[in-house]
Amino acid sequence: MKSHENYKELIWVLAKTDFKLRYHGSVLGYAWALLKPLLMFAILNFVFSYLFNSRGNGIPHYSLQLLTGIIIFNFFSEGTMAGMASLLSKSQLVTKIYVPRWTIIVASTINSALIFLMNLIVIAFFFALSRFMPSLEALLLFVIFSLFTYIIILAFALLTAPLYVKFRDLSMIWEVLITLLFYATPIVYSLQMMPANIQKIMLLNPMAFIIHFTKEGLINNHFADFWKTVTFVITVIVAFGLGVFSYSKLSPRIAEEI
Amino acid sequence: MEKDIAIKVENVSKTFRIPHEKISSLRGAAVNVFKKKSYEEFQALDDVSFEVKKGEFFGIIGRNGSGKSTLLKILAGIYQPDHGKVYIQGLISPFLELGIGFNPELSGRDNVYLNATVLGLTKKQINAKFDSIVAFSELERFIDQKLKNYSSGMQVRLAFSVAIHANREILLMDEVLAVGDTNFQSKCLTEFNHYKEMGKTVILVTHDVGVVQRYCDRAMLLRNGKIMKIGKAEEVGNEYIYQNMSDEERRMRDEEKQKITNAEKGPDNTKGMELETEKKVIEWEKIKQEDEKRNKIAEITKVEFLDKDGNKKNVFKTGDDLSVRIYFNKNKPVENLNFGIAIFNQEKNYIFGVNTILDKVDTKKYLEKGYCQVDYNNIPLKTNTYFIKSGVFGDTDTIAYDFIHKSESFNVFSDDKNQGLIEINYSWN
Repeated sequence: MKSHENYKELIWVLAKTDFKLRYHGSVLGYAWALLKPLLMFAILNFVFSYLFNSRGNGIPHYSLQLLTGIIIFNFFSEGTMAGMASLLSKSQLVTKIYVPRWTIIVASTINSALIFLMNLIVIAFFFALSRFMPSLEALLLFVIFSLFTYIIILAFALLTAPLYVKFRDLSMIWEVLITLLFYATPIVYSLQMMPANIQKIMLLNPMAFIIHFTKEGLINNHFADFWKTVTFVITVIVAFGLGVFSYSKLSPRIAEEI
Repeated sequence: MEKDIAIKVENVSKTFRIPHEKISSLRGAAVNVFKKKSYEEFQALDDVSFEVKKGEFFGIIGRNGSGKSTLLKILAGIYQPDHGKVYIQGLISPFLELGIGFNPELSGRDNVYLNATVLGLTKKQINAKFDSIVAFSELERFIDQKLKNYSSGMQVRLAFSVAIHANREILLMDEVLAVGDTNFQSKCLTEFNHYKEMGKTVILVTHDVGVVQRYCDRAMLLRNGKIMKIGKAEEVGNEYIYQNMSDEERRMRDEEKQKITNAEKGPDNTKGMELETEKKVIEWEKIKQEDEKRNKIAEITKVEFLDKDGNKKNVFKTGDDLSVRIYFNKNKPVENLNFGIAIFNQEKNYIFGVNTILDKVDTKKYLEKGYCQVDYNNIPLKTNTYFIKSGVFGDTDTIAYDFIHKSESFNVFSDDKNQGLIEINYSWN
């Protein structure tokens, strides 16, 4: 069906509307997009810096590492949640009109990406406050890792959005898993605190890989070795392929399931 | 496919599986793996084939559940057919409803952009058409207000205005003319005609025969997923009316049967003391009623409508012969009875009345037969539902022994294009 040649505009308008409406009617408005991860950062920073004294454990710039980790993870959790619910929450666009369903899924993930971009300002602010300047390579790596995070989100959304229409408890399950994943990812702690073999297993989780090496890059100017990177890239590609495959299988009948 | 065809549908079938229990949790799915799958199949469309020419105003009518919306969704690409093929020439408007994506929290302006983008326009195109969209909707003063402050009619106007500016060659519309005031409706109609002149195709799904007969060139009647009739909108519309009336007739007959069986079953079902007393009360009431009846000198027991062959019927065509038969009981010996029969339409307009006193009819034969009958030849009644008022009198028509205020109704339908209460033979000169 050649009825839509304006995919890009469609996605952009949908994402923009979501973004506009998300904090609509709240007094603080867009500030909420920043406040949520900031508040989490404040709490965790207090708990782990002062109560458990992670600084004493020799993690340099613990607060900056924590903040970076939280904001990337926040991108991941918000993006996957929104992506999973996208088709169901926009059911009118599925059942009353034909637009390619992936545009709806992509639009919802773009919305999370916009919030992530806003959060980057917060990261930049705190780095400036600490008078810490990461290397140029590390910054470039950060950009690439952000793109990879987006690809992972998209893969997850393509896989789960059509399934979520059928199985509504996926969102509950995912909420629980996200919490679990938060602590299985080196955000509040550093990967080096783990035994070496556990570290290897943890790095198979692409989000752990991204967050660990973003932190390592920005703070310590350390980068992942070749084989670890290859494993990571292959994992992401396989995940994305799985998402696209599942989407193409399930999406034609989606209007009947809603 | 020939050039002048806009839509060609070939042997399209669509079956829905309706599970007895909707599984919408993983646990449910896991449990159900071991259970036998229990679902009903519902064939929404059964081997449907038709063509729509370019520039045609095509109507699809049918009752709820006849498959018309499913068909439209298949044309729009929302559903995939199980079998068969759909060929479409030209850009199709992929929407079935007006104002898809409308958000009450956004301004009219933002909603126009949102809705138009969903309908497939680019930002540049919307910019170029924006003024025209707003002008058509007559909402210039309100365009920067939030949509939630619009009345529903205003929302429809805005939505419709965006829809017709979407610039598609084929327009699919599902029950959209039902809303909006008459002014706006006629404006839409003009716009549709304009569409036709431009060689664009409009497909309209509705169960409103009036709309189809007024607006459409051709139409298709669906019933249980099959095409019952396809052809001129007038004829298809009439077929639909006739079909519905026959259903009505069938329903009435079924109800009557049900009443009889219920009455037969009645005594067996009564159980317990409460029901026993209730039964007594009912019996007592019955006796009372019968007493009252006996006090009546005569009473009307039944009104029947017959066609010219003497068969009971409730549906007639304009110009058919209609007979009305009034059954009565005589409770006290009486010399003479007179009858009056009046036809009313359902809006309670008095159409036609006769009585035996004015017509100086000898009613002796009626007393013997137990009923009286009036034959109306070539009834000039127009499409409507009618009922009878009837009275039985003595020698004057002032005091009725019995009077029926509203009999069972009968329906009349016609193919005519004129309007009013009755059909008069006429020609233009």
